[in-house]
Amino acid sequence: MSLILQTIADGLVLGGLYSLAAVGFSLIFGVMNVVNLSHGVLVLIGAYISYTLWHVFGLDPLLSIPLNMAALFAFGYVYQRGIIQLAVDRSSLLASMLVTFGIALVLRNVLVLVFSPDFKNVTPSYAFNSLTFAGITLDFVRISALGASLVLLTVLTAVLRWTAIGRVIRATAQQELAARLCGVDARHVYGLTFGVSAAFAGASGAILGIVVPFAPPDEAIWTINAFVVVTLGGVGSPAGALIGGLLLGLISTFTSQFIGPAFPNAMMFLILVLMLLIRPAGLLGNAFSGSR
Amino acid sequence: MLQDGITKHRWWIAMSAVALVLLVIAPYFLSPFHVRVGQQVLFAAGLALSWSILGGFAGYWSFGHTAFLGLGAFTASLSMSFLAALPPLLAFVVALALGSAACGLVAALLAYPILRLRGIYFAIAMLGVSQVLAELNNNLDFMKGSMGVMLPRIAPRSVDPAIYFYYLFLVATACTLVIGFAIKVGRIGYGLVAIREDEDTARMLGVPTERYKTMMFVLSAVLTGMFGVIYAWSLGYITTGSVYRTDFSLNMIVYSLLGGMGTLIGPIIGSFLMVVLTQVLLGKLLDVHMMFTGILLVAMVLLAPRGIVGFVRDFRERRRGRAS
Amino acid sequence: MPTIDRRRFMETVGSAAAATAVGAPFVRRADAQAKKIIFGGSVPASGRAAETGLNVQNGYLTAVKYINEVLGGVEIAGEKYQLELRLVDDASDPARATTLVQRLIDEGVDFFLGSFGSNIVLPTAAITERAEKPMVQSGGGSDQIFTQGYKYMFGMFPRASRQFISSVAFFKTIQPSPKTISVIMTNDAFSKTNAEGAIKDSKAAGFEILESYQLPEQITDVSSVLASIRAKTPDILICTTHDVNSLLISRQMASSNTNVSLLYQTLGPQLATYRETLGKFANAIAVQMYWDPRSPYKDPYFGTAASFFEYYKANNQRPIAYHTAGGAACIVTYLEAMKAAKSVKPAAVRDALAKIDVDTVYGRVKFTPEGDGDPLLLGPAIGQVQKGIVELIFPEAAKTGALIYPSPKWNEKV
Repeated sequence: MSLILQTIADGLVLGGLYSLAAVGFSLIFGVMNVVNLSHGVLVLIGAYISYTLWHVFGLDPLLSIPLNMAALFAFGYVYQRGIIQLAVDRSSLLASMLVTFGIALVLRNVLVLVFSPDFKNVTPSYAFNSLTFAGITLDFVRISALGASLVLLTVLTAVLRWTAIGRVIRATAQQELAARLCGVDARHVYGLTFGVSAAFAGASGAILGIVVPFAPPDEAIWTINAFVVVTLGGVGSPAGALIGGLLLGLISTFTSQFIGPAFPNAMMFLILVLMLLIRPAGLLGNAFSGSR
Repeated sequence: MLQDGITKHRWWIAMSAVALVLLVIAPYFLSPFHVRVGQQVLFAAGLALSWSILGGFAGYWSFGHTAFLGLGAFTASLSMSFLAALPPLLAFVVALALGSAACGLVAALLAYPILRLRGIYFAIAMLGVSQVLAELNNNLDFMKGSMGVMLPRIAPRSVDPAIYFYYLFLVATACTLVIGFAIKVGRIGYGLVAIREDEDTARMLGVPTERYKTMMFVLSAVLTGMFGVIYAWSLGYITTGSVYRTDFSLNMIVYSLLGGMGTLIGPIIGSFLMVVLTQVLLGKLLDVHMMFTGILLVAMVLLAPRGIVGFVRDFRERRRGRAS
Repeated sequence: MPTIDRRRFMETVGSAAAATAVGAPFVRRADAQAKKIIFGGSVPASGRAAETGLNVQNGYLTAVKYINEVLGGVEIAGEKYQLELRLVDDASDPARATTLVQRLIDEGVDFFLGSFGSNIVLPTAAITERAEKPMVQSGGGSDQIFTQGYKYMFGMFPRASRQFISSVAFFKTIQPSPKTISVIMTNDAFSKTNAEGAIKDSKAAGFEILESYQLPEQITDVSSVLASIRAKTPDILICTTHDVNSLLISRQMASSNTNVSLLYQTLGPQLATYRETLGKFANAIAVQMYWDPRSPYKDPYFGTAASFFEYYKANNQRPIAYHTAGGAACIVTYLEAMKAAKSVKPAAVRDALAKIDVDTVYGRVKFTPEGDGDPLLLGPAIGQVQKGIVELIFPEAAKTGALIYPSPKWNEKV
């Protein structure tokens, strides 16, 4: 019994990481219909920014999150308006996927050139603490990651639900033409949305950097994780990202414990395929025209 | 319809025949390294064409075609354990048939559920399929993905394997091209264009969309599997990571896009350019080759979204427009 | 008709341009007049295997630099030679490695150095074998490399299944005697054959194998495995995992307070970055050490292991690891074989390599008939991290520190 509880706890905590890393991706996919294959590399850039700040200034990675988010927000805004918007205008959405993939390659190469291909780690003093209660042992950093996820996701939900900019984003996502007729500068809104998404990717990167060793090739893994989370939980809503992430974490740990430690990845992709076949919109998403 | 198609494209057919002859005699004039590059070009072109049959013609962009590369390669390699008694070349042929058949079977089973999806969802679903197969391949002991499989040499002792496989790939790619041509100029080809442009309307007008999609999916899978088997034998030793490669999946799309999506010559041009470019870059600018590939990809999508063929066509249209 | 002419023109110009672009790198340069021995090869300077790949590369670079600059070259059969290295980055990709190695063969390189990682070394060895060029490598230990019947391939490491002989001998010397062992491996050829060797040798020596855990090649989370280990705790936990994975496992063990009496990782703790990342938590972790700067080896070129280490430090920023010494030893072994054969022809050098028995800065180099390193001479010593550096604790002859057993708990480490 305690093994099952432990597995649940591990799964939720792992899931917190996944949710956080995926929320930005979900937003872009839901609002702009763009599959951002450079999502993983944005997460990594966040991790590297935190690493640099920690190494040079001794700034704790969790404290560096606001800086991280600001930098990546700016980058994301320019990226969207400059490159992705062009791609979407000139070509199909599928081709915009390729553009983001191209940018991912470029950024990955830049990271290798600047930081070397060696894996890096951020290890503040609390990085190795553990918590034990009720027979369950948990990694302190992972719990704080889960906590940070919940906080950030709540903030995002609040912004989308109750602020003016959030309403504008949702309106543009639902009906771009109508929104424009109402005077909304759709391109600006898309830029903002992408900026927010990038900012959250950066925040998750800051946290991830403490939890796992990271190197440029890892960007692919984080992009794929984001995919699966979004497919599971549904597109467009932070709640969907949360549910999807937690589910993915649970699936991962339960598969590892009761089927075999070698199979979490296989199971993750299997669930991805099955969800796409059965309910492509995800558990919390709205039906999409891209599937029937 | 096929007759008309052949007559209409007789210039292209003649050029292809000439190209084929040149390719056949090329190894006698090229260094082994260049023959190897030629092998890679042919392999890339063959894969891009196989992918294009589904992606370019029907508009169903699969982001996970490496699934069939790997499935074909490993089915063939694992079947060698009970084909060992046969002479290596015969064993290879049988294994090739088995590998391709396995891909066709899996595709047939997948077809009904997966072809429900459109656009991005189809692309991602195929990516998921390729990852599931890759993970299972690597983590299930009996599939030998992690330990790898050694494959026997089939080139005769006196022949350089690079040249031998060059010809194998040439034959395979030529066959794929012929099949692609037959489809394109036939009734199915027109049906596929209709599916690509507006599937629902096509269906309403009586095009057997389900049947055509399934046929192309299975055919594409079989051809990709065939290339997977040949590739495996050309490597001599394969692990999961040598044949289940996401970059292969992506390359198939990029080459077709670069050359011109939906055409036959497009994938060939795209493969040739990209493979040659990569080989040149590999030698000199290894540090930044990934960056260059990325920039090229972005430039391609932004500047020439219809590929080289599209670009040439636009260019000619504009010239004609100006002249009149 | 104008359209066809223009099309033909563009095609001709296009193919001419392409041909020039392809041919340009191969335009012959006028060769320098000095006699040279050229060593070629690919190493993973980027990608997943880069961390150690760069260490191997540094070994090659250091040896060549030292021999050319400090010793003024080498003399073989009465002729003076300078050494030249032609190394390319294979980006941890076997397909790229094979293409690049083939190109080097076409350029006339006769002697090859190995990459790092069995999955890269094996296919490149197939190419060099076919071309009948020797390869000496310090980066691949997987059994398959040495069971193909290759005549031209020589490896510094004993094959993976034999790498555990010294470790099991070490386990037997531990007091109080450990009884149970669990093994964590990842699904790739090296890790698996290593683990199988470990399990086989441990059982033969009377230890009980509690569990063996198979992980995927790329791990992000081992919490379930660690939960099992807390439930069913072995005395010794062996991880035959690669550097990054070993680090992840250690980190998660520390933060989930999963304690065993001895944590033993085949790869990982030998890297300075690993020890820096874990800080005090790295103490008491054991690792296989194929070489240490304090080793008592003598070498005809560098003098001693210590002087090699000094020269390396003076010329490099990157902290040293045993793969660096292994790489340097490849060059030394080649040169000694050439001297013994009194020739720089590949076939003659190959025969000399098969018979070689020479002391190098890395150890006494001798190969088995299949080409891998002699398991007793080139097998690993055992090290343990103590106060942030790796002390050798086995065998007796090489000891620089005493074993700490059982290991302190994670939250008690200082």
